[in-house]
Amino acid sequence: MYDHPVLLTNEAGLERSRLTVFFRLLLGLPHIIWFSFWSVGVLFVAIFNWFATLFTGRPPLFCHNFLTAFIRYSAHLTAYLSLTTNPFPDFVGRPGSYPVDVHLPAEPQEQNRWKTGFRAILAIPAFMVDGALLGGARSGYSYSGGVLWTNAFLAWWACLFTGRMPEGLRDLNLYALRYGAQTGAYALLITDRYPDADPFVEPTPAAAPHHPVRLTTAEDDMRRSRLTVFFRLLLAIPHFVWLLLWSIAVDLCVIVGWFAALFTGQVPQWVHNFVSRFVRYYTHVSAFVVLAANPFPGFTGLPGSYPIDVEIDERALQNRWKTGFRIILAIPALAVSGGLGGAMFIAAFLGWFAALITGRMPRNLRQAQVLALRYGAQVYGYVLLLTDRYPFASPAPPASSTPIP
Amino acid sequence: MSARRAASVAGLALLAAAWIFAITQLLHTSVPSGLRLPHLSAGDYFTPAVLHRARSFERFVRIDFLLSQLALIVALVGYALRGERLTRESAAGRVGTGLLLGMLGLAIVWLAQLPFGVAELWWERRHGISHQSYVSSVIDSFFGLGGAFLSICLVIAIVMGFAGWLRNRWWIPGVPAIVGVGVLVAFITPFLIPATHPLRDPELQADARQLEQVEGLPRVSMRVQDVHEFTTAPNAESVGLGPSRRVILWDTLLGFPRREVRVVIGHELGHLKHQHIWKGLGWEAVFLLPIAFAIALVTRRRGGLYSPRAVPLALLVFVVLELAVSPLQNSVSSRMEQEADWTALGATRDPAAATALFQRLSRTSLADPSPPGWWQALIGDHPTIMHRIELVQAWKDR
Repeated sequence: MYDHPVLLTNEAGLERSRLTVFFRLLLGLPHIIWFSFWSVGVLFVAIFNWFATLFTGRPPLFCHNFLTAFIRYSAHLTAYLSLTTNPFPDFVGRPGSYPVDVHLPAEPQEQNRWKTGFRAILAIPAFMVDGALLGGARSGYSYSGGVLWTNAFLAWWACLFTGRMPEGLRDLNLYALRYGAQTGAYALLITDRYPDADPFVEPTPAAAPHHPVRLTTAEDDMRRSRLTVFFRLLLAIPHFVWLLLWSIAVDLCVIVGWFAALFTGQVPQWVHNFVSRFVRYYTHVSAFVVLAANPFPGFTGLPGSYPIDVEIDERALQNRWKTGFRIILAIPALAVSGGLGGAMFIAAFLGWFAALITGRMPRNLRQAQVLALRYGAQVYGYVLLLTDRYPFASPAPPASSTPIP
Repeated sequence: MSARRAASVAGLALLAAAWIFAITQLLHTSVPSGLRLPHLSAGDYFTPAVLHRARSFERFVRIDFLLSQLALIVALVGYALRGERLTRESAAGRVGTGLLLGMLGLAIVWLAQLPFGVAELWWERRHGISHQSYVSSVIDSFFGLGGAFLSICLVIAIVMGFAGWLRNRWWIPGVPAIVGVGVLVAFITPFLIPATHPLRDPELQADARQLEQVEGLPRVSMRVQDVHEFTTAPNAESVGLGPSRRVILWDTLLGFPRREVRVVIGHELGHLKHQHIWKGLGWEAVFLLPIAFAIALVTRRRGGLYSPRAVPLALLVFVVLELAVSPLQNSVSSRMEQEADWTALGATRDPAAATALFQRLSRTSLADPSPPGWWQALIGDHPTIMHRIELVQAWKDR
């Protein structure tokens, strides 16, 4: 049973009204304006609340109610704008008023004064993860969206064409929304429980459909060698060089495989085997670099040789249309993978400090990385013609695989 | 004696003969063999203040160096004793684990030597030789470690690859293979040197062309490296092999009088004329062969370099032996530098400029003109400043 004081529940289906989807941002304008005003109020209340909690050890009731309503409202609004839900939300953040809802402590909670005093600093790592999951980053003229808004952009097209929100993207958004709500609650002193980045907990669905490319993870006690953690990026340099060389050969093989699959419906067995090894090796190296696993990986991508491994089904017939347009079809998956990759590297950055100080990788950060690695392996499997099954972004554990410990 | 053993002994004898022959060939120099250097006093060329400042500067550098070597050995002894445990940090199989242990060995050495590097930087900054900030120095050396990691991975992959095939005889093909990598690195080094641009000074360009002609060299690319942000010390080097060879002048040298820069260019062209980079690689092979053999012998008890467990011990043996042979290596290097000086004198025919250059080099880089013999043996890869001035005098007197 998931015991975090801030929970997200979901009762929304996947059907979407094309009309409201098309005008979603414009429809959201009144909410956005109202949200801006409310945010200004929250700023003042939060400062007052901080002093009050610091002196009394508990937030005043009116502050608590005001801030919980704000967190709930911002979750409703974000869910609406990101197409995670369909109905237009109310303006007050009433509990139980919306299909995607946030459950927050009904009463103000006793809080540790030290944690309260340094809350703004303590919350920085959570804000960083939150930024990767929900926000985005601007660098010069380029803008890279967080996971949620990247999904929203892709889902907008999907909903317009199909009238349905893709399930994987919806589930991924729920995870981002949960983390966002927990971060808000922590920063605004609703709870002193730290946000939980683990994606494999509620409201994640129990199981995902079978996918030909699956991630398996061995039991991990999260211990990390400080020495290898400190030098992790440098230690990976030989792997980067090897990956680069290998990827050149893979590119050539995939070109051959693409033509073969276009004419025969299948990639040659040797291409499948060679590329499978590469995808596995890439995942091993990525897991090592981002601290999701501890040991130094081998250079061959041998199955079962690394704690975070990839199972790949035998080659199968592939739809020729999907093969022909594979690069174009893969663009949305690559975009989602980019968003998740950003979150994975933020988790690695934070995990690097944590592992260096404590000798352990925080489990929830590692779990977030596992999700990104799994999706990344599926994207590679799709792009490199191992399968024509589209990558599934949901944090749901696959039914046919080893459960993620 | 069995036929197999007889063949082994014959093979070793042949190898030893080739080794000795290579040494005799590499020792050849164009400096006249009977040349006697006059004994000159440093006091006649440097003021007492300059000598005092240089000696005071180098005293600290020597202590820092000795302590850093001590830390290096202690760190590597500790690593040789306990590094084996780090095999559990690897899921990479035999060779991959060897690579990891090799890289971690270098990482530990870097950590052990870091304080001494920072102390040396502090001392250089105090004397106005370096302008580099501490943070940038540490970051630069940290990322420089990445290159060292790649190099050691390449070497260990070669060694352990051959050990998988030949077990303890890996050194026989291993040394030529490593020297082959050295050749490759020497070839590409010029392309990896940052912040360089062509020499733009038309007078110096003309000097370079004239010296090339005198030394019988084809046109050589002259480039300037911008280092003034980090240091005031002057330097120059000749790098590359065949089409990649070139002369690099630090921009800190360009403020010197033209005649002195001309001597520097003549010196660097002298290195190219006498194929010193190739000779250096030959010497590398000469020194590497017995060192590799010793490593193979010492690591046998840990399964030889077939096993990754032997890598920490191999690192220790390598560093200790390198330290032990460094006086020989330095004397070889000094011999080549002397030949380059001699060639520059012949090409420029300007001994006064050469003497002035060496005096200036000592003043600007605070080098002790006549350091203690042990120090010169340990780190002196160039002749001492006084020896270089004495060579100039000998050239005049010849």
